[in-house]
Amino acid sequence: MTTKKENAKRLGIYLIIVFAFSMLLIIFRKPMSSSHTAEFIISELFCFSPALAALITRKITKEGFRDMKLHLHLGGNFRWYLLAFILPLLCFAATYLIPVIIGGHTDWLGGFTPDNVISGILTLAALSFVQGVGLVGEELGWRGYMNRKMEPLLGTFGTCLLGGIIWGLWHFPIDISYYLEGGTLSYSLETAFGRLALLTCFGVFLMWLTKKTDSVFPAVIGHYMFNSSQSFFMMLFEKGSIPQNADIETSADAFEYIPMVITAAVFMILLLRDKRGENITQ
Amino acid sequence: MTGLVYKEWKQNRWFILSMMICSLIPFAALLQNREDMSAPETVRTICSMGTVIAFLFAGGLQTMVLRGDDRKIWGCWITSTPEGYRGFLRVKYEMVFAMAVLFLTSLSFFDRLFCAVMADRGVCIVSSIADIAMPLVFIQLLLRAIDIPFTLRYGNKKGSLIKLIYSVAAVLIISVLILTNFCNFSVVVFNMGKKLFSGKAGSLSVSVMMILSLAAYYLSYRISCRIYLKGVEQYDH
Repeated sequence: MTTKKENAKRLGIYLIIVFAFSMLLIIFRKPMSSSHTAEFIISELFCFSPALAALITRKITKEGFRDMKLHLHLGGNFRWYLLAFILPLLCFAATYLIPVIIGGHTDWLGGFTPDNVISGILTLAALSFVQGVGLVGEELGWRGYMNRKMEPLLGTFGTCLLGGIIWGLWHFPIDISYYLEGGTLSYSLETAFGRLALLTCFGVFLMWLTKKTDSVFPAVIGHYMFNSSQSFFMMLFEKGSIPQNADIETSADAFEYIPMVITAAVFMILLLRDKRGENITQ
Repeated sequence: MTGLVYKEWKQNRWFILSMMICSLIPFAALLQNREDMSAPETVRTICSMGTVIAFLFAGGLQTMVLRGDDRKIWGCWITSTPEGYRGFLRVKYEMVFAMAVLFLTSLSFFDRLFCAVMADRGVCIVSSIADIAMPLVFIQLLLRAIDIPFTLRYGNKKGSLIKLIYSVAAVLIISVLILTNFCNFSVVVFNMGKKLFSGKAGSLSVSVMMILSLAAYYLSYRISCRIYLKGVEQYDH
């Protein structure tokens, strides 16, 4: 049985390593701006840093490499894989489409033809299995390691909240790089905190998926869809006719967060209910 | 299950790791012809040819992981374990899929690294390998979906031979149908191809085919589960 002290130690080591990797983006900012090769290598190291940190921590603490949740567990869990694919798509559909429809700009939806939508969704479905694997580099660390060490210490709610914040903060060097390259601080901070809020909410769903299926792969697909759904909708908008000075006012800002907040609330309830069920069984 | 994964890793680790070496082929071909790298069209042609060759090598290595398990004693033993032959086949299919994904990921990694290194040397190469590699990886999965049941049903040597006979027969039948224009076959095929892959329908057809190849891969696993024990009874040793 792993004690809370051991968990805290492992979590501490993991966080130190993962944030040390993320600092590379700031420390090596100059070589990155002058060399494409340096930029590529450091960016790749950054992307895989959660998985690398988890592996290094397991090695340092002699925890071993068992139970990394790397089995697919497809049998009986296919519906959760499907949910991992569909839910981000629905959330971003609500984020992008509702403000456009409410604002009375349905003429902007010219690119949303059945052909375009179906081919786009099928392509995403196929690619999520083949291309999404790159995101194992993140999920192996966040959902596969950090959350599991955090939950015995902070409880389910605390893990979702703090885990999400940590996940968001890890992206901070990307957001701040815009400011360091001469952009405005307010825009960088707005992007950073917006991302932090979205990731904290979405992290609840990914944590639920990982616990439900005992595998990181549904979370990998969910994460891939979180990243790709946004570009999918942007691509469809680009195919339509949107005026250069298009503005859908403040309702769009609200709808950026509402679907994710609802998702987070629903899956938080499910997580807490499952946890209570586990406690009763024990 | 972990034991089966460990067994596959110990038995086939060099084939699995060689996927990464295969993904270097297009860049080796580019370096071999580095004098021609100033023309983007030449770079694209060399990249495309290198990628196709790399896929052929990788495909060959993927089929090699099926060797060694076409033994009666192994088939009987694995059937008696708690995971059963279904668990064994599932791990085999997952491993072949993982090999294809590893190959694609490595190819994409080396492609971006190569473009970055060349950009630092003042040669601007637009990354184009993903455009070719993405459809090829689904074709590769489709081919494996056909290969694996044959190997499991008839053993490695006999399976390859029977698959070859079926393939030759299929090619002959299609050739005869086209040459004789039986029931207007060639016109129907041509029109269907034109309809499927031209204009807006093209992207829809490609995406449907990508999904179908994944579905075929899963179907192939189900077929393999049904025929495996029949194959075990017929293995030579």
